[in-house]
This record gives sequence, C-alpha cells and structure tokens, in this order.
Amino acid sequence: MLWIVLLAPLVGAIVNGLFLRKASKNVSHGVGVLAMAVSFAAAVAVFMKMYSSNGEPQIYFAFDWLQAGGFSAPFKYLVDHLSGMMMLVVTGIGTLIHIYAGGYMHEEESTYRFFTYLNLFVFMMLQLVLGDNLMVMFVGWEGVGLCSYLLIGYWYTDDKNAAAGMKAFLVNRIGDIGFLLAIFLTYKHFGTVSFSELKNLIGTGTLDAVKLGAIGWITLCLFIGATGKSAQIPLYIWLPDAMAGPTPVSALIHAATMVTAGIFMMTRLNFMFYLAPSTMHVIAVVGALTAFFAATIALVQSDIKKVLAYSTVSQLGYMVLACGVGAFDAGVFHLFTHACFKALMFLGAGSVIVAMHHEQDMFKMGGLKKYMPITHAVFLVGVLAIIGMPPFAGFFSKDEVLWKAYIGAGPIIWGIGVVTAGCTSFYMVRLLCLTFYGDHRGAGHHEKHDSHGHASKAEEDHGNGHHHSPHETGPIMWAPLVVLAIMSAGVGLLGIPHVLGGHNLFAEYLKPVMLIPAQAKEHWEFLHAEYSHSIEMGLMGVSVVVMLIASSAAIALYGKGPKPILATWKKSFAGIHTTLSNKYYVDEFYGVTFVKTLREMSQFLWAFVDVKIIDGIVNGFAELCRFFGGVLSFKMSGSIHRHAMVLVVGLVCLLSILVFN
Amino acid sequence: MQLLNSHVLSTLIFLPLIGAVLTYFSTNLKTAKMVSMITTGISFLLAAHVWFWFDGSTSALQFVEAYEWIPSLGIKYIVGVDGISLLLLVLTTFLMPLMLLSQWHVDDSRQKNFLALLLLLESGMIGALVAMDLVFFYVFWEAMLIPMYFIIGVWGGKRRIYAATKFVLYTVIGSLLMLAAAIVLYYIHFTQTGIYSTSLLDLYAIKAPVNAQLWLFMVFAVAFAIKVPMWPFHTWLPDAHVEAPTVGSVILAGVLLKMGTYGLLRFAIPLFPDAIQTCAPLFVFCGVVGIIYGALTAWVQTDAKKMVAYSSVSHLGFVVVGCFAVMSSGELNQEALYGAVYQMINHGISTGALFFLVGVIYERRHTRLLADFGGLAKNMPWFATILIVATLSSVGLPGTGGFVGEFLILLGTFQAMPVAAVFASLGVLLGAVYMLTLCRKILFGPLDNPENKVLEDLSPREFGYLVPLAVLAIVMGVFPNLFMSKLKPSVQFLAKNYREYRLEYRLGSESAFESSSKLDSNKLNVSVK
Repeated sequence: MLWIVLLAPLVGAIVNGLFLRKASKNVSHGVGVLAMAVSFAAAVAVFMKMYSSNGEPQIYFAFDWLQAGGFSAPFKYLVDHLSGMMMLVVTGIGTLIHIYAGGYMHEEESTYRFFTYLNLFVFMMLQLVLGDNLMVMFVGWEGVGLCSYLLIGYWYTDDKNAAAGMKAFLVNRIGDIGFLLAIFLTYKHFGTVSFSELKNLIGTGTLDAVKLGAIGWITLCLFIGATGKSAQIPLYIWLPDAMAGPTPVSALIHAATMVTAGIFMMTRLNFMFYLAPSTMHVIAVVGALTAFFAATIALVQSDIKKVLAYSTVSQLGYMVLACGVGAFDAGVFHLFTHACFKALMFLGAGSVIVAMHHEQDMFKMGGLKKYMPITHAVFLVGVLAIIGMPPFAGFFSKDEVLWKAYIGAGPIIWGIGVVTAGCTSFYMVRLLCLTFYGDHRGAGHHEKHDSHGHASKAEEDHGNGHHHSPHETGPIMWAPLVVLAIMSAGVGLLGIPHVLGGHNLFAEYLKPVMLIPAQAKEHWEFLHAEYSHSIEMGLMGVSVVVMLIASSAAIALYGKGPKPILATWKKSFAGIHTTLSNKYYVDEFYGVTFVKTLREMSQFLWAFVDVKIIDGIVNGFAELCRFFGGVLSFKMSGSIHRHAMVLVVGLVCLLSILVFN
Repeated sequence: MQLLNSHVLSTLIFLPLIGAVLTYFSTNLKTAKMVSMITTGISFLLAAHVWFWFDGSTSALQFVEAYEWIPSLGIKYIVGVDGISLLLLVLTTFLMPLMLLSQWHVDDSRQKNFLALLLLLESGMIGALVAMDLVFFYVFWEAMLIPMYFIIGVWGGKRRIYAATKFVLYTVIGSLLMLAAAIVLYYIHFTQTGIYSTSLLDLYAIKAPVNAQLWLFMVFAVAFAIKVPMWPFHTWLPDAHVEAPTVGSVILAGVLLKMGTYGLLRFAIPLFPDAIQTCAPLFVFCGVVGIIYGALTAWVQTDAKKMVAYSSVSHLGFVVVGCFAVMSSGELNQEALYGAVYQMINHGISTGALFFLVGVIYERRHTRLLADFGGLAKNMPWFATILIVATLSSVGLPGTGGFVGEFLILLGTFQAMPVAAVFASLGVLLGAVYMLTLCRKILFGPLDNPENKVLEDLSPREFGYLVPLAVLAIVMGVFPNLFMSKLKPSVQFLAKNYREYRLEYRLGSESAFESSSKLDSNKLNVSVK
C-alpha cells in the first residue's frame, strides 16, 4: 500500500512530463489530481493500518541504494505517528491544492509542466517525511528544493522569476551542506544513518564525552540545514522571493509542507537534539528572533503575497522556537494547524489575485467582500485562526508554543513571542481589511503609494490589459477552500490543553515519537513538571488581550480603507518605515558582502591567476625553450625526436641521480 | 565462447584499428559512416560482453591475454581488466556510437578522415585501459595524443593551432617525465630481481627504496595530474575544449581526462605506495583548490563551452581528493575510492551530455556566448528537459549519478581528512552556482532575440544520442549497485592493500568459468612460451 502512496505522484509526474506535453489542460489537471487522490486514499489506508496496530512503527523496504565500504543506505521507509501524520498532511492538503490549481492555472498554456513539477514535489516530500534514514530524507530534502526551484521559476520568461528560483535553490544548498556534514559526522561517530538504529544507539545507551560533543556538532549542522529549508535567520531570504511562483505553489510548498521540513527533521531526531542543550539554546533564540523580525517586516508590505510570505517565516519561527525549548510536539502541532490555515489563506489570496486580474497590491483592492462572499468567509476563518482567536486552531497551537517557551526559555523569549503575536494580529487584520472591506480601490482608483512601488508586484501581471469588476471564483477553486476552512476552525480542538479541561490529545499522540535520553532527563524535567494553572491562564489571557488590542488597532486604521493619518505617520517615521519595507536591507547586505565579493574574486582568479600567472608561466616556458633552442641551434636539426630524446635522457640521468643518491 | 573470451580484449583494441583503416579507404562517405558505426557498435557489444561475464566476486585481473613481445628486454603484451578499468572500458565504447550519431549529418569531404581518427582514438583509449605492461601502456598513452591533436588542430575553432599545440606540449611534457621515471623503475626492478620486465604485475611486486619511490611517484603523478587536469596544471583544458569540435570535447571530457585519474589508481598509487603517506595531503590540497577554483572560474565565463570546461576542473578535483583520502591507519578510504571510481564514469556521462547540448545550440546559432541566448525553454522544451537533467547530475542532486560519486567522495574524505572534506563540500554549493547560471542564461528569461525564436527543438537524431545519456544519469543515481557491485572487490583490495599490491589474474580462456585456477606470475611466463 505504501508503494501506491509513493509511486502514484511519481507516475503522475512521468505521465504528464513525458507523454502529455501536447494534451489539453483538463487532461493534465485530471492526471495530476487523480495521482494525488489515489495517493491520499492509499495514505489513509496505510495510516489506519499503522494506527490500528497500536502505533507500531511500520518499516517498508524497497531496495538497496548506496552501499560502499561500511556505508549503507537503502531505500527504506518508516511509518509511525509522526510520519503518518505528515503523510496525511502532504497528500491531503496536496490533493486539495491540486484541485484548486486546475482553476487557478486555467488561463495558462503548457500546464503539463506545472502538474509534472507539483506531482514530483509531492513524491519528493513523501521521501522526506517517510524515509527511514538520513539519506532518503536527504533525497527528499534536495528533491523538494529542486521542485521548488522549478516552480518558482515556472513563468521563466521573466528573468526575475528565474532569478528567484535560483536564489531559492542556492540559499537552500547552503543549508544542505550543513545537512551533508551532519550525515558525515553521524556516520563517523555512530556508523549508521538509519533513524531506528540511531534511536537505539543514542536513546538507550550512555554516551561518552566524544560522542556527546559529536552530537552537539551534528545537531548544529542539521539546524543549519533547517534554517535553509524552514527559512530561518540567516537563510530566510529566499522565501519572500519565492512568491514569484504560482499561488498554489506558494500554498503547498512555501507554506504547508516543504518549509516545515526543518521542524519535521528536528522532531524526527528529537532524541539527538535533547542531548545537545547548547544547540537547543541557539535554536530557540533563532526561532524567536526570526518570528519577531519577519512579523515586523510583514507590518508594512503592500503585496498580499509578501505579507503572507513574511507571516509564514514568522510562524515557522514559532515552530522552531518550540523545538528549541524541547516542545517538539507543540512545534509539530503548530505545523499542523498552520498548514491548514496558511494554505487556506494563500489559496484565498490566489482567488483574490485571479479576481483582481493578477493585481497583488492590497492598496488597489478593497471591498471585495461584496464580490466574493465565499472567499471572504473562508479567509476570515483563516485570519481568526492565525491571530489566535479562541477557539480557532491557531489559538491552541500558538498558545502551547508560547507556554512552553515561557517555562523553557523564560519571560524574555515569551515576551518576544507575545509581541510577535501582536504584530501578527495587526498585519493579518490589516490584510483582511485592505482586501475585503472598505471601498473598492481597483481599476481606475489608482492612489499613490510611492514607498510601496518597490514591493515587487510579482510576476503575475500579464492580465493587466482588461479591467472588469472582480467576481467570485468557480467551485473548483472555492470548494477546497471550504474544506480547509473547516479544518482551520476545528483541528485546534485536538490539542486543548489540560488547563482548559482538555487532554492535549495531540501531544499524547506524538508521545511514542519523543524520546528524552536518560542522560538528558534532568535538563528537560520542566517539560513535564507541574505548574500552577493560574500562571498558565494568566499568560494565555495576556496574549489574547494583546491580540484583541492589535486587531482593534488594525481595524481602526484600515477598517474602511487606509486612514489618512497613516500617510502622516509614514512621513514622521520615514526611517523606520523605509527600513521595514526594505526588509532591513538584508538582501542588499548579503549581495554586497557575499555575492559581489565572490564574483569579483572569481573574476580575479580567472582573468589574473589563470590567464596571467599560470598561463604566463606556461607560455613563458615555451618562449624560454624557443630562445635556448635558437641559441643552441637545435632548430637546425629540426627533429622533434631528438629534442624528446635529449629531454628523456636528461631526465633519466637527473632522476637516477636523485633516486640512487 | 571460449575463443571469444580468450581474445576479447585484443579484439577490442584492434577492431577499431581495422575499422579506422577501412573507414579511411572507403570509397564514399556513406560507406565510411556505416563501417565506423558498425565497428563501434560491435566494440560496445564486446565491452558489454566483458561486463556481463566479468566475475564481480574477485579483485583478480580478468580476460587476461599475455604474450612475449620483446623478450630480450622483458617487454610483454599483457592485457586484462579489473574493477578499476571495467566501467571505463564500457563507458568508452558506449560513448563512441553516440558520437558517431551526432556526426551522422555531416557531409564534409574530410569527414571520412575524421571518422577514421575517432576510431584510431578509440583503439588507443581501449589499449591504454587494458594494458598491463608499462611499455605497452606507454605506446597507447602516446597513441591517444595523435588523433586528438588532429581533431583539435584540423577540425577546431579559430585558435585551434594554439590550443592543439598547448594540449600536446602539456601532455608530452607529462609523458616524457613518465617515460624517464618508467626507465628508472625498470632499472630498479632489474637490480632487485636480475630480470628484465616491464610487466606491471612484476613491477608491483618489488619494493623500491622509499626515497626513490618519492621521486618516481612525484614524476608519475605529475604526468597523470596534467592529464586529469589537476589544478594548477589545468590551463590547457579550457583552450582545448573551446577549440575542439563537439565530439572532441565529449571524448576529451568523457574519457581522456579519466586516463589521468585511472593512471593514478593503476600506476602511481600501487607502484609507489610508500610515497602516498607523504604526498597525499599535497594532492588532496590541490584537489580541493581545484574544486573551488574551477567552480569559481567557471562561474565568470561568458562562453558556455568554457564554463563546462572549467566545471571539469572542479569535478575532477573531487576525483583526485577521493583517490588520496588516506586514513590514519594508512589505508585508503574505501567510500572515497568508490566515489572516485564512480565519479569518473558519471562525469563522463553528465559532462559528455553537457558538451553535446552546447554543440546542439552551437550548430544552430554558431555562437556559444551565453549572452546570445535566453528563453530557449520556450521553443526547445525537450532540449530544456535534457539540459536540466544533465545539470542536475552535474550539480550532484540526489537521484542522479553525480550525487553518488560526490557524496561518497565527501563522506569518505570526511572520515580521513575532515577539514579537506568541509572545504570540498563548498563545491556542492558552487557547482550549483555556475550550472544554474548556465541554465538560466540559456533557457530562461525572455525569448527576445529573433535569431533564437526560429530555433527548432531536438531532431530525432539528436534525441538518439542525448536520451541514453540522460536516462543513464538518472539510472546511475537510483540504482548505483547495478554498476558498483562488480567493482567492489577491486576497489576494496586497492584501498586496503595498495601497499602490498599483487594482482591475481585469470586468463581470458578461463574467465567466466567457475573452475578458474589462479596462476602466479612465474607460471605465466611458462604458459606464454
């Protein structure tokens, strides 16, 4: 059964990519969706089988892959509570997005490419989550990066998109080097890269100082990998640019699945991370900072997809923070709820973009509630979920993260988290208001937003020619949204904390996956210690209040279109505003310090070292020979043989002297 | 079958030679094409036969044929194949028909000579790969040079004379060095045993003084390093590639460069094992510099072919590193050595494909400047697909052959020399930098140049030689055991025992039969008489 889960998307990709190049859009869409539906159905079956056998991890062996010396990495898959859940998320949300994409891509030509890449992506993502060793995970890890590259650059005729795709691939590769080094270290110190074997070796045994030190480095290298895939500081810069791809791609790859790979990987190897408290500190701090910085940038973006992109970076920061304080279950819970509501919001934004004829600037939208009631309703659910309005999904998962951050990392990190939550509420409500409420500012109501001019309108602006009033999308697009909306509203109930009278079923569910090795037990005692419910309730109250204040502020300022006072503020705080809307100039900084320097160095290496020095020596040597040849008038004898003969005899003599000396 | 097995390697050497003569004297071009195609086709089948019947459970030399050649000097005709040379042999014969196919449409009056030269080259390459006698090897090593010189010098681009001369001078300097060292080694063997012999099997058995090994190793290694080309001996390569015709570049990258790394494994390392401990760090250093340096210089090239040429410097840097990953125990690291052998093959496939692909657009546009292209994915989608596959293999994406080679090299090197491996893994990033730049400049962006708009996608003939390479790049990545399983004993034996390297062998007549008796070196001489 698992083979069907894995192979259906691959077959879909091959059929679309090799045999259906001339087929109509509906055919390639149909093949793509069919492959996904089959995969999802099989995934449910596999999941049920695993779940009904008391969550015993199921191992599936395909064939031997890499075997050399003592190294062995077979294509072997592991279905347990963690990967089973991820498998359902990937195929389930994947199926919905494939359905939606048929509507979204309706005006495109050559959609076979799109569905090829999308199916291939799902295949690779399944390798990533189901692999039983680091190598298979790495296949998926790089494979999803490839698909992301191809899909970001889907509209390749605009060089900007091709550049964004390339940037994503290269930045990810920096992280991938970290992952590779982690594999090398793991093999060196533990002689295996299989998860089950590592879990046995590390989880149950007592490790000496060398091995513990190695684990410190391994986890750090893995985390570098995670900063690439999961868009954390300092490697987050590719994700906002990745919005150049078609919106269903942003929903599937850059919100729901691929970008969560880092969190998934750390959870998969939690027993190693528990043994590396210093790495965990780094992870927690990086996560908190990323969450905060990205949220502040999102406050001033005017491109609807850019807001969502920075929001994703910020939410990923929460998940990473959760991992950093040892609450992997909270991280994965947030991953799960986020996958639902962020996919929902991206797809909703996609519907809006289609309705607006590929306009992405929110300041040119407004009042869409009237035209798109269904999209508005589901989008509202998404916003309520992400800002943490009880009882929507985001409330429970985010609160769990914040609570664990408080007990694990102290009030400062918690404070950053709460402020970030405030920012989140503000920019999300702002987005909602600018898009759906107030008066419609599109088509002809062009206002001036100079400072936003630079926020790239991503590339979907080929529909600029015609201006009709926006309209609701067809059911093929809104039906998946409704499903996602129901999930966004409901899935939080899986994780109602004890303090609210629930049983935190989600954490219970993930318990078999978690393993705190005996050596690290003491350090992580706080995770299971008893705390007074009043503190937890109090903190929860604080974050709800912050959320309400921030949301009200956003409603007040943007509820009926942007208030004029905003323009005045923009002038008086021009410095802050420009810095934020330029994303703290991080891209520019990297551009100058790394890319430009490297480029100049390369130019120097080639034009000077290669051409002038090395070739200079070679050519100079030839000149020298010619000169001496002239002097000794060997030229007259003319025979190459003699030159060579003399040379060899000379060399033999020389060598003999050296050797027999 | 027994007759075939006992002479299969000799047939492989001399069949292309006969083919070359027949091609040259063909009355018309059509016959010449047919003759050369049939010759290379049969060669490939013979090599496949060798692969199929090769016994993957032993490190012994197989399909051996041995005759006295110049008894008074101890020079013998010995050919044989083991796990180190097996795949290179198959690769060589595999690429030849594809190259002929890529030349099928050329109706030049000189084309007959070109085909004859290619066959001559094939003969030289196969000979060098299977020769197990130093003199015999040297003859073929030099014999490869001549056709290549003409291929670049006559069929090349504008600066072909400069490039061809540079190529020959560089290589000849290396060869002469090697010849001198070989003579000294021959003499040492004589002083130690009192027997004249140039057979590798005999030469492996002696133990030269450490000091002598050091010098001889350096000389041999430099000769091979020039061929690889290892940084800083690489500057002939970009010139040769840029000026060579497409087929010349394919064969250069596909096979000729591997002769350098093959030579390191076959000659330099097992003949002078005591020098390895001392010299390995130097070679690993040069390899790592080559990886980074080659990648960076590739990045700033404006000519697509030059870019691919410099990428070879980077990729071959990996192979050199993999050959010299010496563990603290003194053994070579096995994983790295597997990777090195595998990467040789894989580089032949992926870079061969890249040169073919550059040739495809060069034939259409008569330019290779990246700036002249852009947006070709639009009207050449199949070309784009194959270029992307070749690129992915070149950048070592998991699931392609490039990953298997590079990964094993890095993994193994990390066990032996972690710092070197960390620097070498930068190549993983930098490789992607220049290859994706290449793709972006050629395939993506607006299709605004009117000359590019009219370009047609791949013809069936072009499909014919590109698809096998693309498919192979993926198969090699997903099922590496298909190719690696037969190499294991040889690689393992070399890694563990290069300090006491003794190759057993099976005569061709016995190969592929279970009841093969293993003969020792003395018996061979008897059986030959």
